[in-house]
Amino acid sequence: MADSYGQNCNKCGFCLSVCPTYQAQGTEDASPRARIQLIDFFSDHKIGSSEKLKDIISKCLMCGSCANICPAGINHPERYVRMREKMIRDHGDRPEIKSLVYLLAKESRIRMAAGAARMAQKIVPHVFAEKYRLGSIALKQFPVFNKVPFRTAARKAMARKPGKKSKGVPALKYGRVAYFTGCATNYLFEDTGFAVLDILRHMGVEVIIPETQTCCGIPMLFHGGRENVKSNINTNLACLDAQGIDAVIVDCPTCGAALKNDYPALAEEFGLDQDAANRVAEKVVDISTFIMAHARPQDFPQNHETIRVTYHQPCHLRNHMPSPGSAQGLLNALQGVEYIPALDMDSCCGGGGTFFYEYPEVSRGIANKKVTNAKATGANLWVTDCPVCRINLGGYLDDSADLTVVHPARLAAQFLPDLKGRKG
Amino acid sequence: MIDPDAIDNLKKIVGKDRCFDSAEQLACYCYDAYFEEAMPDLVLFPCTRDEVSGILKICSIHKIPVTARGAGTSLCGASIPAKGGVVLCFSKMNRIVEINTKDRYAIVEPGVVNADLQKALAPFGFFYPPDPGSMAMSTIGGNVAQNAGGPRCLKYGVTVDYVLGMEVVLASGKVVRFGSRNVKDVTGYRLSSLFCGSEGTLGMVTSIILKVLPLPESVSTLLVTFDDLDNTAKAVADIIGAGILPVALELMDKTTIRTIEEKAHIGLPVDAEGTLLIEVDGVKEACEKEIKKITEKLEANGAVNIEVAKTEDERETLWHARRSVYGVFAKLSPSLYTEDIVVPAGKIPEMTRMIVDIADKYKLLVGVMAHAGDGNMHPMIPADKSNKEEWARVKKAFDEIMAAAASLNGTLSGEHGIGLAKTEYLPLVMDEDAIEFMGVIKKAVDPDGILNPGKFV
Ligand SMILES: Cc1cc2nc3c(=O)[nH]c(=O)nc-3n(C[C@H](O)[C@H](O)[C@H](O)COP(=O)(O)OP(=O)(O)OC[C@H]3O[C@@H](n4cnc5c(N)ncnc54)[C@H](O)[C@@H]3O)c2cc1C
Ligand code: SF4
Ligand code: SF4
Repeated sequence: MADSYGQNCNKCGFCLSVCPTYQAQGTEDASPRARIQLIDFFSDHKIGSSEKLKDIISKCLMCGSCANICPAGINHPERYVRMREKMIRDHGDRPEIKSLVYLLAKESRIRMAAGAARMAQKIVPHVFAEKYRLGSIALKQFPVFNKVPFRTAARKAMARKPGKKSKGVPALKYGRVAYFTGCATNYLFEDTGFAVLDILRHMGVEVIIPETQTCCGIPMLFHGGRENVKSNINTNLACLDAQGIDAVIVDCPTCGAALKNDYPALAEEFGLDQDAANRVAEKVVDISTFIMAHARPQDFPQNHETIRVTYHQPCHLRNHMPSPGSAQGLLNALQGVEYIPALDMDSCCGGGGTFFYEYPEVSRGIANKKVTNAKATGANLWVTDCPVCRINLGGYLDDSADLTVVHPARLAAQFLPDLKGRKG
Repeated sequence: MIDPDAIDNLKKIVGKDRCFDSAEQLACYCYDAYFEEAMPDLVLFPCTRDEVSGILKICSIHKIPVTARGAGTSLCGASIPAKGGVVLCFSKMNRIVEINTKDRYAIVEPGVVNADLQKALAPFGFFYPPDPGSMAMSTIGGNVAQNAGGPRCLKYGVTVDYVLGMEVVLASGKVVRFGSRNVKDVTGYRLSSLFCGSEGTLGMVTSIILKVLPLPESVSTLLVTFDDLDNTAKAVADIIGAGILPVALELMDKTTIRTIEEKAHIGLPVDAEGTLLIEVDGVKEACEKEIKKITEKLEANGAVNIEVAKTEDERETLWHARRSVYGVFAKLSPSLYTEDIVVPAGKIPEMTRMIVDIADKYKLLVGVMAHAGDGNMHPMIPADKSNKEEWARVKKAFDEIMAAAASLNGTLSGEHGIGLAKTEYLPLVMDEDAIEFMGVIKKAVDPDGILNPGKFV
């Protein structure tokens, strides 16, 4: 009998057609239905726990494309997460991954680690950076850590320049939003953060960046740290479930999916404040969707020159968020953007959280295909919402490629009248 | 038990990375889209014809069963290794070797996924007509071995109509080639046709020459509803009888429509007793003319509503509804038993009634869906295999459905094949001599019966 998390798989194979690991490896063990089969075999005691089993279950990008297409309504990620927990309990995890789970459980630890990493980036001699890799990505292609965490920098910036940012366009006065920055924007990609901030303030929206927010917890959940996630949920709900907040803006699809889908479910499981989780979930919206819903044409006047842009749709946006088409809508709406869709725009980049680090060979195969197709569009900007996709895809673009990966907000911010060309 | 030396030698041919032998990996090759399972002893992923040949030589010496596999989407259990042994999986042998639109052919390796071939042909303005519902994941090798069809096969024909030639490795390891790159070729027996529908029992297909066609200039799709199922089927017979050949003529009965609508909310007409999804293609003017003629026939048969898709999006929505049938029924229960009997198109109303009566008798829910133009019907019964009593009723219902189809001059399978699912029903539609003749052919090319043993021959 299958366990209670989903229905039986009838082995129709639809999931094979969308699974990036199956397509990269070409073997059934890398397919969603095989993972479901093995989980069922394991719970029926037809096979025992083993390193091999752990490897097969973990060699998955957790992109959720399988659940999205499955006619039997199987919730693959949920079943995989549970199985991963069991396997990690039985066979442990790599020390680096274990430390990640440890780090992400407390903001102070993340901050310290990011600081140390920035130091290391500064002192690693150039020759090493040229030669060494983090998983599948060359060290020198890795993004540079923010000088100070974005939330700190933003607080200072907002204090310096209160309220009005731009001339000419009257503020919309939409209301107040809370901005959930995610770890990536806070420690790696402040350009995204400043772009989001500039856009919202330009649109006349009052932005609050809750100080106590911390990692959404998904990376821990995917690596067997279910218990650790509890305190992250509590911390985030406490600062996001505030009076007078009209929307919770996210710039990262994984954080968005966590707040929108996982928190209510986990709150119920852990007996946390379910009402708060529901209230927050209701308000979560990604920045592109927010812009598309509330901006007016005059907010983003025409750029003087045309920018050629292509797009990569992150799996967590496509499979977990209500309006996955918003970033593309934005690209089409911005006057002066020539949007050229890539052949495999909506297929996984192979990044998958820590997947690129754990399974570099598979990841590289998937990413290289994406890069070839993106280059073929002749675009100069490669827009994508997810920071891990950005790290991963950016990791394969060497200096010779005339292509830069940016967040949609970063592109949109270039169109703001007074802020053109602002460096993050 | 397989001889350990033989295993070592088999492993040497493909190397460590292309050989699976752990319990965990083997468990991923004990199933296909049918509901039975059987464990292989070894799974090998050949990349070349010579590797296939080498593997078969060893297997024939040691009499090791060999079951070919593409994507494992067979609905009749054809790719389940019923007697264990080696699974020879072609998923890594997936190059499109040549596309030649001037001479209208493509050469592919067996592991090429049908949809990937379509994608590769589209920029040339060409397509490969056979379009099984599994085209996004099933392989051309599997399509050939099952002689797969799909909705547009009404107008265009099934796989066998597109195979010009192939390369096959026989059980002994010997490589034979037949057919050619020519769309016209009557040189000797049409051996490639023999291999279409052979379900991997005669040899391993390692290369296939396929006929391809230019994409039609335009396509139109209609959704038609009726308040009477007999009228629905009569309309089908009338359209075909008048010499009109749409690309697709798909019929869904009341239960099917309601079930889809309840689960998927696509806006289907839930009051209809029957619906038809009709598609025509060709030169624009010809399409319009055809639709006009079809509309006349539909109206004459009491169609309640005829809706023509105005945009590509609307067209896609209609097809989405049709394609979601399998999924919606799959959601209803843990196991979905689906069949694909065929009856002469004119017998569809009668057969539908028989199916519904049989299901009622055994207190089972049944949805009927048909590629009505060619009489190919898919009764779908959602049930729970772990509920022994219920499953026994399902089994009995299908016994009777098979017999009913045979009694109407129908046959057992229009596209899914025989495999493990229907071997026992063969005598309903084939006489002893014909079955024996298949055995003679099998013996000639696979004297020890190592290729896909435990199946229909
Ligand atoms: C949702 C769904 C919808 C479907 N819709 C249709 C449909 O519309 N029409 C239709 O016809 N079928 C349909 N099918 C059935 C199935 O997809 C087809 O039979 C398909 O052709 C099987 O291809 P495969 O690559 O999965 O082959 P497999 O299932 O792996 O193998 C099928 C058979 O082919 C043999 N084989 C595979 N490769 C080779 C080779 N290289 N040489 C020799 N033998 C080989 C195997 O031994 C086996 O007997 C559907 C199945 C599903 C799950
Ligand atoms: S799509 Fe769902 S039911 Fe079909 S094989 Fe995959 S997991 Fe199983
Ligand atoms: S989550 Fe993504 S990578 Fe993992 S099995 Fe599903 S489709 Fe494949």
